[in-house]
Amino acid sequence: MNHDIILKADDLYFSYDDDKTHSLNGLSLEIKRGSKVAFMGANGSGKSTFFLCCNGIHKPAKGTLYYNGKPVSYDKKGLLELRSKVGIVFQDPDNQLFSASVYQEISFGILNLGVSEEQAKKEVEQVIDYLEITPFRHKPTHALSGGQKKQVSIADILVMHPEVIILDEPAAALDPKHTAMVNHIVDQMTEQGITVLMATHDVNYAYEWADEIMLFHEGKVLMHGTPKEVFSSHDVLKKTNLEPPAVLELFRRLTKKGILSSSLPLPKNLKTLEKYIEDIKL
Amino acid sequence: MITIDKLCYHSKLRYENAGEKFAFAIITLIICVMSRSIAVAGIVLLTTGILTVFKGGIPVSRYLHFLMLPLTFLILSTLAIVFNVKDAPLDLFAVSIGDWYLTASKEALFYALQLIATALSAVSCLYFLSFTTPMTDILEVLRKLHCPKLLIELMLLIYRFIFLLLTIASAISTSQDSRLGNKDYKTSLKSFAALGSVLMIRAVSRSNKLYDAMESRCYDGTLHVLSETQPPKKPVIIGIALFDILLLIFAVWRRFFS
Repeated sequence: MNHDIILKADDLYFSYDDDKTHSLNGLSLEIKRGSKVAFMGANGSGKSTFFLCCNGIHKPAKGTLYYNGKPVSYDKKGLLELRSKVGIVFQDPDNQLFSASVYQEISFGILNLGVSEEQAKKEVEQVIDYLEITPFRHKPTHALSGGQKKQVSIADILVMHPEVIILDEPAAALDPKHTAMVNHIVDQMTEQGITVLMATHDVNYAYEWADEIMLFHEGKVLMHGTPKEVFSSHDVLKKTNLEPPAVLELFRRLTKKGILSSSLPLPKNLKTLEKYIEDIKL
Repeated sequence: MITIDKLCYHSKLRYENAGEKFAFAIITLIICVMSRSIAVAGIVLLTTGILTVFKGGIPVSRYLHFLMLPLTFLILSTLAIVFNVKDAPLDLFAVSIGDWYLTASKEALFYALQLIATALSAVSCLYFLSFTTPMTDILEVLRKLHCPKLLIELMLLIYRFIFLLLTIASAISTSQDSRLGNKDYKTSLKSFAALGSVLMIRAVSRSNKLYDAMESRCYDGTLHVLSETQPPKKPVIIGIALFDILLLIFAVWRRFFS
C-alpha cells in the first residue's frame, strides 16, 4: 500500500433519499498526504456529500473509503478515530457553532477526544491566540460578524489537530480582509503538514493555490490533475461551466498574438505573467 | 429580552464570579418573597437597583423602563383584589351603583400594595442577575449545582437557537415587506402564516445540520465544554452573606416583633 495516499475513495455511491438519483455516483479518488487539493464543480455535484463521507457522517451505500490505507470501519471506535483525524470546517458557521460562548464552542471538539481539562484549556488558549480570536473571545457567538464566526469555526477544528482539514467554501460571504486571513491560515496549515481539501468556486485562487484539482461532475470525478492540466483542457471546463483563470487566458491571448513566446512555461500567477511582460524587449 | 442580553454582555459586573451573583439574586429573592413586607421589598428594590445601575453601568432610563413592564402588569392584576362590588360599603371608599356599591377596604389596599412591592422587588432580583450575567455563565452555575445535564444542554442549545431563528425570521419578514407582503390585513395574515411554516422547516433542517457538524467533531451524546470562571472574591462573599443575614433578621423582626 502506498503510504503517501492519506485518503482514498473507491467507487463510492451515496444517495440522500431514493436509489434513483445518486449524489455520489461511483466516485473514486486519491488524496496525497500533505497536499493542497481544490474541489471544484457545480453546486450539487457531490463535493459536500463527499466531504461528509470523509468524516463518516454519511456512510456510502456502495464502495469503500480508505484512510491511511485501511478501510474505514463504521463502528463507534472507528468513527471516533476517523473524526479525530479528519476535520470539516462547514460552509455556514451558523450550522456549526452550537454554543453562545466562543470559549465553550472551541473546547467542545478537543474535550470529545478525551483530553484532560488542563490540556484542553492550554490548547484552546493557544488556538485562540494563534487565530487572533482574543479581541472577541468574550462576545456571544450571535454578536460576531461573519468573518469572526468563520475564525471561530476554523479554531473549532484546528484545536483538535487533525491530519486532514476540509474547508467547504471557506471564502463564501466573506469580505476581502477575512478572505485573505482565511487563505493565510490555510497556508499555515499546509506548512504544518496538514492535508487541506477545499471546495471553492474561485478559479483564480484554486489555480494559484492548489497542488491538485478535483473536478466534480454529477457525483463523479470528471478530471483530476495539476491546475495547469485541468485549466488547460477547455472541453472539461466547458462541461462544468468553469471559466479558465484570468492569468492563463491572458497568457494564451498574448502568445497567440505573438507578443509572448509560446515556449515559455505557463505562468503560475499574475506576478509571473507580469514578469514575462516586463522582460519583453521591444 | 434581546436588549437585556445585549446589555448584560456590557455590564461592568459581567466578569464577577457568576456563583456570587446567582447566590445573591436567589437568596435575596427568597427572603423577599417569604417576608411579604413592604419595607424589605423597598430595601431589596433599592439595593438591586443601585447594583445594576451604578455598579453594573446599565443606563438608568433603560432599567426603569424594564421595571415599568412588570409594574403595569402588576397594577392591572391587583385591581381585582382592591375593588369589590358589594351590597354594603367598606371602610376605604364606596361609590353606590343602584343597590350595590363599588367599594374597597383599607386592608385590601394594603394587601395589594404588599403584593406589588414584593413581586416588583423579586423581579428586580432577577433583573440584577440577567443584567449582569450572560446565560452561559448562569448555565455554568446550574451545572455546579448538579442540575440535570440534559436540561442544561437543552438550555444551551435553545439559547443559541433563539438568536439564530430570530435572525432568520427577521430576514424573511424583511423580504416579505420588500415584496409588499404586509400591504393590508389579509396579506399580512398570509405572510405571517408562511413565515411560521418556513421557520419550522428551517429550524428542523438547521438542527439536522448542526447535529452533523457536532457529530463530525466526535460528539458522543454529551456536550463536553470547558468554562471560564472568575475566581470568587472573599470580600464579595462576605458582603453578600452579611447583607442577606441582616435582611433576614430584619424580615423576621418585621414579621413577628413589630
